[in-house]
Amino acid sequence: MTPMHFTYYSAFIVSITGLSLHQTHLISTLLCLESMMLSLYMALSMWPIQLQTSSFMLTPMLMLSFSACEAGMGLSLLVASSRTHGSDRLQNLNLLQC
Amino acid sequence: MRILDTIFMLALLALAMPLVISLCLSKTWLILKTKTAVKTAFFITMIPFAWTLWLDPEQTKTFSNSILLSTSTFTIKLNFIFDQYSITFMPIALYVTWAILEYSHWYMAADQHIDKFFKFLLIFLMAMMMLVTSNNLWQFFIGWEGVGIMSFLLIGWWQGRAEANLSALMAIIYNRAGDIGLILCMACMSMTLASLNLQQFSYTNPAPTLPLLGLILAATGKSAQFGLHPWLPAAMEGPTPVSALLHSSTMVIAGIFLLIRAHELLTTNKWALSICLCLGAITAFLASLCALTQNDLKKIIAYSTSSQLGLMMVTIGLDQPKLAFLHMSMHAFFKAMLFLCAGFIIHSLNNEQDIRKMGGLHKSLPITSACLTIGNMALTGMPFLTGYYSKDIIIETMSTSYLNAGALLLTLMATSFTAIYTLRIIMLVQTGRPKQPPLTPLHENIPMAMNPITRLASGSIMAGYLLTSNFTTLKTPMMTMPIWIKTAALIVTIIGLMIGLKLVSMTNKMPLNPSHIHDFLNSSIYFNPLLHRALPKKYLGLSQKAATHSTDQSWYENIGPKGLTKMQVPPTKFTSSWQKGLIKVYMISFLLTLLLVMMLTNTL
Repeated sequence: MTPMHFTYYSAFIVSITGLSLHQTHLISTLLCLESMMLSLYMALSMWPIQLQTSSFMLTPMLMLSFSACEAGMGLSLLVASSRTHGSDRLQNLNLLQC
Repeated sequence: MRILDTIFMLALLALAMPLVISLCLSKTWLILKTKTAVKTAFFITMIPFAWTLWLDPEQTKTFSNSILLSTSTFTIKLNFIFDQYSITFMPIALYVTWAILEYSHWYMAADQHIDKFFKFLLIFLMAMMMLVTSNNLWQFFIGWEGVGIMSFLLIGWWQGRAEANLSALMAIIYNRAGDIGLILCMACMSMTLASLNLQQFSYTNPAPTLPLLGLILAATGKSAQFGLHPWLPAAMEGPTPVSALLHSSTMVIAGIFLLIRAHELLTTNKWALSICLCLGAITAFLASLCALTQNDLKKIIAYSTSSQLGLMMVTIGLDQPKLAFLHMSMHAFFKAMLFLCAGFIIHSLNNEQDIRKMGGLHKSLPITSACLTIGNMALTGMPFLTGYYSKDIIIETMSTSYLNAGALLLTLMATSFTAIYTLRIIMLVQTGRPKQPPLTPLHENIPMAMNPITRLASGSIMAGYLLTSNFTTLKTPMMTMPIWIKTAALIVTIIGLMIGLKLVSMTNKMPLNPSHIHDFLNSSIYFNPLLHRALPKKYLGLSQKAATHSTDQSWYENIGPKGLTKMQVPPTKFTSSWQKGLIKVYMISFLLTLLLVMMLTNTL
């Protein structure tokens, strides 16, 4: 594996580990989500450059726009939960647990 | 000769006059004049009776007038027949009705609708006359249905009483079940014979069994033979004059009369004769068996009517229609008288019908108890009273023919039981200490009730002798037989009498609880509870299973939507109880999957 690929893989794995094992605050989950998006963006943009297929050069832009929407939605959920519960601590989000 | 028809029409007119005139006159007029009308009709019909008896008993005149129904292949006319049967029966029926009408003037005096009662009785009488004189099965059916409807209306006279309505319904339903047979016979005959007239009753020898079975079914329904018999004891819910007229003398013999008229067909078919014989014997035996344990005076007399009808059926099965007719005519006298006496006793004791609460009426009501005794003795066949002349000859004929020994045995036992239950009536009602309340005003100073009873008593004594000495039968009766067969009926009756007397002396040694046999017989061999409650419950249960449970619920619901629900909901509930909403754990599963994929595909 080239160093470039190793960078993307490791960045993605570290971010998804952070997403799964988040402890206290919801905002850390969102940050990890953003870093996942970032690593995916970089991987998607390096791919058509390396393989010189110009028809795939639009893909990172699409992904970026969708990730922006999703980041916005994540932040609005954070704001909503901090408005109802007073903070973004994860212990408050226990309605689905039995 | 048109004189007979003229006389008959005159008699019918005399009967119909009160009905027509009462439309414009008052109620009391009708009540007073109905009896007179029937008396007039009786004397009018005595003229052809005397004429034919003294001149030529075997003559038959028919009289057909207007057309009732006409198709291209078939015409049915209004057809009357005046032969030995109808000419003899009409005056007898009118005599009995005259007595009953005079009696019911006293019996129903407190009733508000007494004029309607008399009208019903008159309409019944006219339907009966039509039945007896019809030459045509169609006209016969009109009379048949007419008497059935009037029976329904008269049994349910006291409409507020639930048991009366039930009994009226029972009567009409059982009669209808028998009517199927009559219509079957009419259909068979319409298809194969030229017309429905009695003169056309000739088939090849032997006659086909199906129309005859239809006739026997009709007789079973109307004459309360075993199988369609429960309505007759239940019909005692009606007033006593109704029981006396309809259910002892006139209506119930209509079935037997039909079989007498169809005699030429029955003679050729041995199967039909055997069925008549066995059915009649079973009826006679079972009815007299049930009469032994009854406590209601009218019900005992009703069961004895049923038993005598069985005996008439036996006579028809013996191929002796004239004897059956003779027994029918004589039975009318003493049975009607028995009912009238019973009604007088019940009315005097303030509507007490249980014989265990009567007693000692021998001294208080002498004429009534004398007539009751005469009627009972005539019923059992005391020599030289009315019943003897027909009953004894029937039993002699039966003993000397080649036939079913079981039927013979059953009939003899029925005869002995007759003696036992008549003895029971006499002893419990007339002798012994009075068991009614002491202040009942018992008196007989009522000529309106006593005259009919004494008239019928004189009929019970003398009619037998008068009729048999003037009646000729085409079949010669058997004259020579061993002495114990000749006196079989008498011996059996005396044995019954002695057993009855012995049993009466044992009444203070009876067990405390009634035995199973007593309950069995008291409820008329469990026929009613079985047929009216147990069987319909089974049918309804079966239909519920077939229609509701099987079709509606199973096939429409459980195979389709409801079955789907029942199959899907439990697994859903079960598996959704496992999902506990642990988001973090689900996220870790993402991570683990990724690591696993990478390790397995060796991309690290």
